[in-house]
Amino acid sequence: MMPTSYEDGHISVSGAGGGSMPGKKPENTAFKQQRLPAWQPVLTAGTVLPAFFIIGLIFIPIGIGLYVTSMNIKEFQIDYTGVDMSSPCYNCSQNFSWNSSRPCACSLPFYLDQPYDSNVFMYYGLSNFYQNHRRYVKSRDDSQLNGNQESLKDPSKECEPYAWSSSKPIAPCGAIANSMFNDTLELFYNDPNGSKVQIPLTATGIAWWTDKHVKFRNPGGNENLPAAFQGTTKPVNWHWPVYELDSDPENNGFINEDFIVWMRTAALPTFRKLYRIIQRKNNMVPTLPRGNYTLEVVYNYPVRSFDGRKRVILSTISWMGGKNPFLGIAYITVGSVCFLLGVVLLIIHHKYGSRNNIAT
Amino acid sequence: KGLNYLSQRAREKELRSLVSNLPYEGQEKGKQPNRFFSSNSIKTTKYSPLFFIPMNLYEQFHRLANVYFVGLAILNFIPVVNAFQPEVALIPICVILSLTALKDAWEDFRRYQSDRKVNNTPCFVYSRMEKQFVERRWKDARVGDFVKVVCNEIVPADLLLLHSSDPNGVCYIETANLDGETNLKQRTVANGLCTSNFNCKVVCEKPNNNLNHFKCYLEKPNEEKVGAGIESLLLRGCTVRNTNHAVGFVVYAGHETKSMLNNNGSRYKRSKLERKLNIDVFFCVILLFTMCLIGALGHFLWLESLPGVPPYLVPDSSGHLDSPGLTSFYMFFTMIILLQILIPIALYVSIELVKIGQIFFITNDLDLYDEETDSRMQCRALNITEDLGQIEYIFSDKTGTLTENKMVFRRCSVMGTEFPHKENDGKLVQQIKRAESSSRRGGGRKIHPYLDFFLALTICNTVMVSMATAKRERVSDLFCQRKPKRNRTRSEDPAVGSAKMESAADTNGVQTCSLHPLSQRDRPAAASQSLHYEAQSPDEAALVHAARAYGFILLARTPDTVSVRLPSGQVLDFEVLDTLTFDCTRKRMSVLVRHPVTRECVLYTKGADYAIMELLGTPYAEHLSGNQKDVAAVTQHHLDCYAKEGLRTLCVAKKVVSEDVYRSWLVDRKRAQASMDNREQLIMETSVQLETDLTLLGATGIEDRLQESVPETTVALREAGIHVWVLTGDKPETAVNIGYACRLLEEEDLVINMSCKNKLKHFYFIQLTCTSILDCTLEEVRRYEEDPCNVDTTQNIALVIDGNTVSMALSPDLQDRFVDLAKRCRTVLCCRVTPLQKSEVVKLIREKLKVMTLAVGDGANDVNMIQAADVGIGISGQEGMQAVMASDFAISRFKHLRKLLLVHGHWCYTRLANMIIYFFYKNAYVNLLFWYQFFCGFTGTAMIDYWLMIFFNLFFTSVPPIMFGIFDKDVSAEVLMGVPELYRMGQGKGEYNFLSFWISILDAFYQSLVCFFIPYLAYQDSDVDMFTFGTPMNTVALFTILLHLSIEIKSWTLVHWITMLGSVGLYFIVTLAYNATCITCNPPSNPYWILQSQMADPMFYLICTISTVAALLPRYLILPASNSISPSPLLQGRLLDRRDPDTKALRIQEWRGFRGGGEQVKRYRLSPPPSPTLDTPVDYVPEFDLTGDDFSLNVITHQSTVHT
Repeated sequence: MMPTSYEDGHISVSGAGGGSMPGKKPENTAFKQQRLPAWQPVLTAGTVLPAFFIIGLIFIPIGIGLYVTSMNIKEFQIDYTGVDMSSPCYNCSQNFSWNSSRPCACSLPFYLDQPYDSNVFMYYGLSNFYQNHRRYVKSRDDSQLNGNQESLKDPSKECEPYAWSSSKPIAPCGAIANSMFNDTLELFYNDPNGSKVQIPLTATGIAWWTDKHVKFRNPGGNENLPAAFQGTTKPVNWHWPVYELDSDPENNGFINEDFIVWMRTAALPTFRKLYRIIQRKNNMVPTLPRGNYTLEVVYNYPVRSFDGRKRVILSTISWMGGKNPFLGIAYITVGSVCFLLGVVLLIIHHKYGSRNNIAT
Repeated sequence: KGLNYLSQRAREKELRSLVSNLPYEGQEKGKQPNRFFSSNSIKTTKYSPLFFIPMNLYEQFHRLANVYFVGLAILNFIPVVNAFQPEVALIPICVILSLTALKDAWEDFRRYQSDRKVNNTPCFVYSRMEKQFVERRWKDARVGDFVKVVCNEIVPADLLLLHSSDPNGVCYIETANLDGETNLKQRTVANGLCTSNFNCKVVCEKPNNNLNHFKCYLEKPNEEKVGAGIESLLLRGCTVRNTNHAVGFVVYAGHETKSMLNNNGSRYKRSKLERKLNIDVFFCVILLFTMCLIGALGHFLWLESLPGVPPYLVPDSSGHLDSPGLTSFYMFFTMIILLQILIPIALYVSIELVKIGQIFFITNDLDLYDEETDSRMQCRALNITEDLGQIEYIFSDKTGTLTENKMVFRRCSVMGTEFPHKENDGKLVQQIKRAESSSRRGGGRKIHPYLDFFLALTICNTVMVSMATAKRERVSDLFCQRKPKRNRTRSEDPAVGSAKMESAADTNGVQTCSLHPLSQRDRPAAASQSLHYEAQSPDEAALVHAARAYGFILLARTPDTVSVRLPSGQVLDFEVLDTLTFDCTRKRMSVLVRHPVTRECVLYTKGADYAIMELLGTPYAEHLSGNQKDVAAVTQHHLDCYAKEGLRTLCVAKKVVSEDVYRSWLVDRKRAQASMDNREQLIMETSVQLETDLTLLGATGIEDRLQESVPETTVALREAGIHVWVLTGDKPETAVNIGYACRLLEEEDLVINMSCKNKLKHFYFIQLTCTSILDCTLEEVRRYEEDPCNVDTTQNIALVIDGNTVSMALSPDLQDRFVDLAKRCRTVLCCRVTPLQKSEVVKLIREKLKVMTLAVGDGANDVNMIQAADVGIGISGQEGMQAVMASDFAISRFKHLRKLLLVHGHWCYTRLANMIIYFFYKNAYVNLLFWYQFFCGFTGTAMIDYWLMIFFNLFFTSVPPIMFGIFDKDVSAEVLMGVPELYRMGQGKGEYNFLSFWISILDAFYQSLVCFFIPYLAYQDSDVDMFTFGTPMNTVALFTILLHLSIEIKSWTLVHWITMLGSVGLYFIVTLAYNATCITCNPPSNPYWILQSQMADPMFYLICTISTVAALLPRYLILPASNSISPSPLLQGRLLDRRDPDTKALRIQEWRGFRGGGEQVKRYRLSPPPSPTLDTPVDYVPEFDLTGDDFSLNVITHQSTVHT
């Protein structure tokens, strides 16, 4: 880079020589003489091999634990996209556009071969949906979602072209909100005695607490939402305005949890989002007993434009989240590899370790 | 406009004619005759406060890297391509630019302060209105003014000396500010002028930066021209000494003064490492473009594969979607912005910071400090510290570099008789006594040659006499003359000195210093012990001291007289008629004096032996009639012996000039002095004219002792794989002797001596002969190398070559052969080479062999060489500061070279090389983002918040590598000094090479793969959101990067711990704070509560741990394993460090013995160098002679010591 001149070669009046530095003996400090006390590890096979063994010994049990935990998680998936002719939702998937006013319904039977004991989390899964598209991710106005009145009336430029509709500001604006998942899913237990029991689904508690209470806020409080959203219009693809998402005033408008969950954009194109929670009633009865079930779908959400798939996932969860054996396997693998390499290093150490000492 | 043109013309003219300002005093500026010349106020600042920002930016944008980054930032403002928010993209470049600007501003401010101080220094300028000198500021002095400078004051501008308080018109100056030389220089008043009615025109040359050259003449109203030269010029920046006051006419002012023209600031060189670095940056650019192309292509294919228009494809504001081709074209630029970090933006700034730190440590090294001269190591070039660690060839001067340049008179030969100079050897003293008595008998008419010899030694020089008791103290106070104590008070000793002198002294006192009648009694005290000689060359001082030892005491020297006290006590005042100063062409100097007794004009000459021997004329009078021719021959023999002994030789001669010859010569001389064009040439010709038909008086042998620890240093340097060459102006015999003394040559070495002795008429013939010599030598050397007997012995070849042969060897036809020969030699001694040849040799080796060269020297004759080499080192010694001024590094002793190269060079190089490699690695980490593109449709999304991403490179991970670059110590100084072999690690390709660069890039690729795909697989098909997905990756990246560095760090000091832990701490604190407070502050990105929620999740820790371990596994496996299997010498050095001091010392000894094999062991056997003495001249074994006496190629082998 550019030369920097510290000695300008100036003829200084004070008499210090232009060429020679003001003669001074350097201080004899550990810092200036580069003699600071230092720890000088030398990495050789001998010094690192304990670390390898220790890592191996720690990782393998962790891996086994993780694997077992993951295996204990029960998970059931059902694809209801309706790609196959045989699928009950085939018709719905064929003739559909965003603006269709006639809801299409279909129902899918399925069988759970084991009972689900703890709380069951019901997810909807989309695949091939790139919620992480750069422009899509940006297409939102956090300030509007935070209840800011100005942003409500004048959405951010980022929302375009989903900011204004027929010269009214859209609330909530942006492509993310516009493309919100709007299928309705209901679960029925086909009792062996022939009756069909609807399983109660809890729609709250599915979003992050901080999102619901801090990040998302309705403009002017949660009461009288229609008035608060006066002068705005619904997103183009929506069937209802934002203040009609739920009847519960604590779960309506911007703080509707389905909406909040959707607004948290997924990291990967195949993702699942929490839809409902099936609370466990008591300790005696399993949350979902073994048997036949029916999934009733109000099929609104089009996925053909991107070859997408829609799924419903029923899963119990553990401390490590959903079912994913990968981490357990990874830990076991890395742990064993470390252990093996530890053995290799031990051999190297035995073979060459002593020779070093002679050489030096 | 016209005025500008006029002013330009006035400045550009070859000759300037200046007149006094006095008649125009008080008139408006337009009427001032000298208005076109620059004023005396100086401005060295680069910027003005008002325009600092634009000017500094302009300056900074000269760097390509900055332009690149600004281009990227601007690209970000184009909506279709932007990857980040445009404002955020500006942060890195702004931080870098402002850091640099801040540094520049601080430097400029310092310059401004110093300028202001200089400009406001008071000085005295003559005012016609007030009829006296009035106090003004330096900045007010203009060309054409009369300025008075008083004792110990600094000269404000280049002044033509018109008047001095000294009756002889002499003014002494000290030029320490300009060139560091502290001896007094004498300036004389330009002839016959008076200040009161100065109506001359001064015609002088255009300003130039030559400190030792100035030409001007004064044109009197009657058109008489008087010449004046550098001897009448007081240079700005010099200090007036020993002169009460002096008045000068301002010739050049301000920036046109010689000192300012010489002030070029520090030098800028590009280091080898930096050149390599630029290539690698170029590779990174290619890599970046490839990745961006992949991104663009991927995006195109992805778009093409979509069956319809999915809801996540956001059209532009008018609802229109661009075609896939166009979108992917934009995507290419988006990718560039996203992945720009691959080109390490902070690297250049970091390198600068690291170098500042390294220079700080080098200059503060106690071992490189010289007590004697109270001087530290100086780094004058700031950006080539790492080159010190890669040196392969050292070109060294001899005198003053290998030797002390403190001359001691050892032997002399007078009229063919040889005398050693020893404490109690009375032989010479008796001779002198005898000579004295004989000349007394002769009535003083005839001077005995012995007396003549010593008189010549005493007179023929430029040594100034001062009193040892009077200290020259610097008094910066302007009004020093008010103080009663003069800084060079001369005490009068009534016991000595003739009456004539006394009276002269009195008149002196009265005339020069009416203010202080007692202070200026400049009478040399005859208490001769207190006499102090100040010589420009140490040889002269040695001769004068030697003469004093034999009773010939130089008492005083003024421009017109020299006073000498003879052994008999008689004091002779010689009138100095002229001094023919020394120059490189003549290689001699002469003084023309009038003998006080005989009234004869006598020319005493001393100079290099060959320069004198050629001029010898008629034999010396009638004293030793008959065998006059023999005197020259015998003296020549003595001279040869002196040279073999390593003594410096000088011949002394004399000539009596008849009055007529002198007169006619004087006319020529005056004409030459007044001439404007090639004055030097003419003056030299007049000198040559007079220096003919000399009579040889004798010769002297002066010893120049080796500096301390020179042999140890050269041995260490050689073990470090550095070829040490000596380039000297001395004779081959002297050089060979010094070579043995400083162990460049060993007894068992094969020494090849190449020399062209006589000058041949036909150039072609010379060349032909030289070619054959070279060919034969090469053949010989090859045969020697292939000889099976010599395979094990590793006997070394040394080449001694003289100036004539070197100039032949440097010719384009022979270069290659010479280089081929030279690279097979361990040592090459080039003798009798001129400064230009020195630099040519350096350039040749540097360019032909593509090696790092270092030149070290102390004198003006080394300047060329110092500038030609990759690294120039100046030794601040006895011969002034010219070498230092031209150098990149300045040291005070040759032995400092050892620590400078072996320790600091090694450290600087390894530190910087490792840091740069690490930087590339660190930035290749941006691949994380690249892998993500495969999962977001190549849309240029980042899964990490922009702010955090930018902070990551700028703050979280930047300090540890810089600290690593400044502080890391792979091997301790002790071991590096003890085992010079370790230095070889840096030579040639060194640690920073093609391989290490690509390994680190590949490692970065692997690590980023692990760091991306482990979290990816762990979070696959889950409800993870973008930033939650990115946070563990960012965290893993931080840990991996820092832990990767921790393998590189070889010694952990407190600084390392603090920066490492601080970086981790900073990352978490900043991220947590940012995630907790930023709810809607950074739309549309929203990282609220991300890290908090992650840190509450055990998965986060599990993922971080396994990713980090898996990423670092290869490096932590391969490094220790290879360390164990084949430990590098550096590692062994590090292992040594861990032992206690005693074992360490023992092991170092063993190692040196063990590694070098038997031959090396022998090298350490302390044996006195085979010194050819007078009694046992060295046996030169001529192998083959090609053309009789003209050329000879000698191979000196000490066969007896060839051992297996």
